[in-house]
Amino acid sequence: MNVVTPGLQTVGQRSARKDAVPKTTGAATYTVDVSFPGMLQAKVLRSPHAHARLVSIDASAARGMPGVHAVITRDDLDGLNPTYGYFIKDQPIVAIDKVRYIGDDVAAVAAETERQAVAALEQITVEYEVLPTVATVEEAMADAAPELFEEEPMGIVPAYGQGASGVRRFGRNNCYRFSYETGDAAAFDGCDHIFEDRFVFSRDQHFHLEPFVTVARMDGDVIELWTSTQNPFPLRKELARVFQYPENRIRVRVPYIGAGYGAKNNCKTEPIAILLARKSGRPVRFCMTTEECFLTQSQHAAILDVKTGVMADGTFVARSGRILLDSGAYSDASPLVAEKAGYRLPGPYRWNHLDIDCDCILTNTTPAGPYRGFGGTQAAWASESQIDIIARALGRDPFDLRMQNVKSLGEAYVPGESGIDSDLRAGLQVVADRAEYDRRSSGDGRGMGVSIGFKDAGGVNKPAQARVRITTTGGIYLECGSVEIGQGIHTAMSQIVAELLNTSPERVVYPELNTDYTPFDQGTNASSAIIVMGQAVQQATLEARQKVLEFAARELDCDIDEIELDDWSIRKGNETHSLAPMIMRYYGGTGYEFSGAGFFKPAMDHAAPLETQCVSWEFGWGVAEVDVDRETGIITLVQLVVSGDAGRAINPLVCRGQDEGSAIMGLTGVLFPCMVYDGAMLMNGNGLDYRVPLATDIPDGFVSILQEQGHGPGPFGAKSIGEGCMLPVASAIANAVEDAIGVRIRELPLTPERVLAAIDEAAG
Amino acid sequence: MSGELAFVSCTVNGVAHELHVRPEEMLIDVLRERLALTGTKLSCDLGACGACTVLLDGKPVSSCGTFAWQASGADITTVEGLAAADGALDPVQQAFVENSAFQCGYCTPGMIMRARVLLDRNPSPDRDEIRTWMGANICRCTGYGMIIEAVENAASALREATE
Repeated sequence: MNVVTPGLQTVGQRSARKDAVPKTTGAATYTVDVSFPGMLQAKVLRSPHAHARLVSIDASAARGMPGVHAVITRDDLDGLNPTYGYFIKDQPIVAIDKVRYIGDDVAAVAAETERQAVAALEQITVEYEVLPTVATVEEAMADAAPELFEEEPMGIVPAYGQGASGVRRFGRNNCYRFSYETGDAAAFDGCDHIFEDRFVFSRDQHFHLEPFVTVARMDGDVIELWTSTQNPFPLRKELARVFQYPENRIRVRVPYIGAGYGAKNNCKTEPIAILLARKSGRPVRFCMTTEECFLTQSQHAAILDVKTGVMADGTFVARSGRILLDSGAYSDASPLVAEKAGYRLPGPYRWNHLDIDCDCILTNTTPAGPYRGFGGTQAAWASESQIDIIARALGRDPFDLRMQNVKSLGEAYVPGESGIDSDLRAGLQVVADRAEYDRRSSGDGRGMGVSIGFKDAGGVNKPAQARVRITTTGGIYLECGSVEIGQGIHTAMSQIVAELLNTSPERVVYPELNTDYTPFDQGTNASSAIIVMGQAVQQATLEARQKVLEFAARELDCDIDEIELDDWSIRKGNETHSLAPMIMRYYGGTGYEFSGAGFFKPAMDHAAPLETQCVSWEFGWGVAEVDVDRETGIITLVQLVVSGDAGRAINPLVCRGQDEGSAIMGLTGVLFPCMVYDGAMLMNGNGLDYRVPLATDIPDGFVSILQEQGHGPGPFGAKSIGEGCMLPVASAIANAVEDAIGVRIRELPLTPERVLAAIDEAAG
Repeated sequence: MSGELAFVSCTVNGVAHELHVRPEEMLIDVLRERLALTGTKLSCDLGACGACTVLLDGKPVSSCGTFAWQASGADITTVEGLAAADGALDPVQQAFVENSAFQCGYCTPGMIMRARVLLDRNPSPDRDEIRTWMGANICRCTGYGMIIEAVENAASALREATE
């Protein structure tokens, strides 16, 4: 599928990543490696109860312990806005009136060593009044269920456009409902068949290998922090609100990040590290253990009820749905995830009517937040599973039914939205051909399933700024806030800049992200870097190039059309003029810098459901082939063929890594136990008991195919690629299981127990 | 809390060190905090993920689960010790670079050390052997395919270099 644009020198090259040498030699600096003389270590006292009132807390003994320099309890929050969150500010720095899950922060200590900090925590006396617990969304929604929040926390509902709406505190423990509706509900009346199914989605934990970690210190009156975050500028804004401090006196610095997959958005270790640094006057490092990470953030478990009406000939007509997200103990990003889960439930298909509600239900468990796929994974699980159910009921091939109903290139997703910017049929054909879908064997324990993963990419209404500076001798600084979290964005952006300046990526340097200097960005999330920030980077580079060319044309006394930039020289016909001497002749021997600024933001549009049209649509096409052992219930993956559309691959190696990494991450929720709770107690929240895919779990038949269909809005037609291939995995495998043994499993993960139970149930 | 200090004499990346360590002090803490070799990364702290893998007398060990005193008399290699003095990368490092066999890079030092031992023991591993061997370490980013290919390529490069 590789399409080569003639004339591109750097874009499309499989060059080594910019971070290759530091990351393979151990030289790369992560936040865990940041250290200062006199730096203290922070530790947190966590709640042993899932739900309890904090009657009293006495930390006086801890304050006198050896090595202890600062202690925080609820009595140390004066002068702060002590709660944080996204739409709803409900999560306290440390518990104030109640604890709401096992692991909730109760107190924190900074001491000279971790051991001293732990010893001091043991001296803190807490009296709890234990309250009834709600461990599941069903329990939390029951009539007599205890409320996690008796009073409504401060929060907002953002503006929505055509067909979309949001409501806070919509029923018991329901902190947010997102709704989307279009078309006439009477459309169901004309349908030949109605399908109603309930799907259950499992709850993975990100398991980023670098834990949540922050080093904070006071630099004069500036709060300075090195932190493992995906969104330094929104984090700065939230910290400014929490600490009632000017944003320009909070300096967020972001070293390399040991991955995040969504988890490293917004406040994690930062508020406690800052507060302890302020109280102690020392630099403070707060680095969680892996066990603590499991008690800090997770994916959303979900229950999805989906009703779909179709015609006898297979034409899709109407879909309604209700999604219940298990939000855990605090709202976190749940309202944002609800927007996306609800908005993505239709899938990329034609409908006359849609009516979807997505509720965020608080439970006494680990707070759920952003996780790669961001609601799209849950939505695709239900949507793409049900399409196979429909196909089988109508006696249709699931592949053909998708081909019949899927939207065409350029067709608006829903009224007011932008057009789909991939050819979905072509994409599905690619994976089907590779897996030899037409020649598959079905039944007798082996089967194949297809799925189309889909999401809107680029976030909602995200602005991005970038700056490009070029020194006298042609060294290029690319200043942009896209965080190198592993996805290879430094490499891709450098290749884009080099291409536009007709030079080598080796000339491009990507300075450390520091909110004092780096141009503003809303965060490295929502698959936005290449399509949103990429456009700002392109504009900044072109502006810098224009200034160089205008300068050179003036110096050479010619028209700008007569010259070209060639590495760091000017080509004029057969002549070559070095720029450095030309610059020093004009600006003096100490030189000069050219700079260009870039900005991108989608236009506001009230006709668009989410107030701006989606920047781009991200897809992952998948085919799974499985063997299912009817005796043991074990599913063996024979083939997993995934494909994403990079639009134009800036670096095909980097794109491949994204496709394959997201697909295998998607396996976790399907074939592995995920987070196992006994009531409100997490049973496997550590690196030994929590099972993620290993090299030994990857079948020979796992392959990714990179498509470059060329329709993306990013530089050179680039599209987002980081999340798409995760989205089809669960449903493709469940669809393959039904193809293999004729039973439908509607609940993840697809454990042997569930497979056997489904076989028994089918046998009656 | 701490008993008497233990005297440890060891070699790290070819450099001799003599240290007094607390009985409960872990090897990873000595490497990272006292010898400033921060390339070795701590993650699960249970010896399960492999991020902290270093070589102890040529054997891969989890430095988070190895007491510093256990390294007494040992020859230790960390990721910082692989490249030549002139900066030339080890063939395993070079293969990880060329195959883009990393993303966030946090597991990478451990992966590279693990692969290095495999190739020391078996210069011609097949794909299943590589997969089994590398299955001891967790990478959450890559999906492993590009890591396995990097190890295959490193094996080829090493064989060519010795032929």
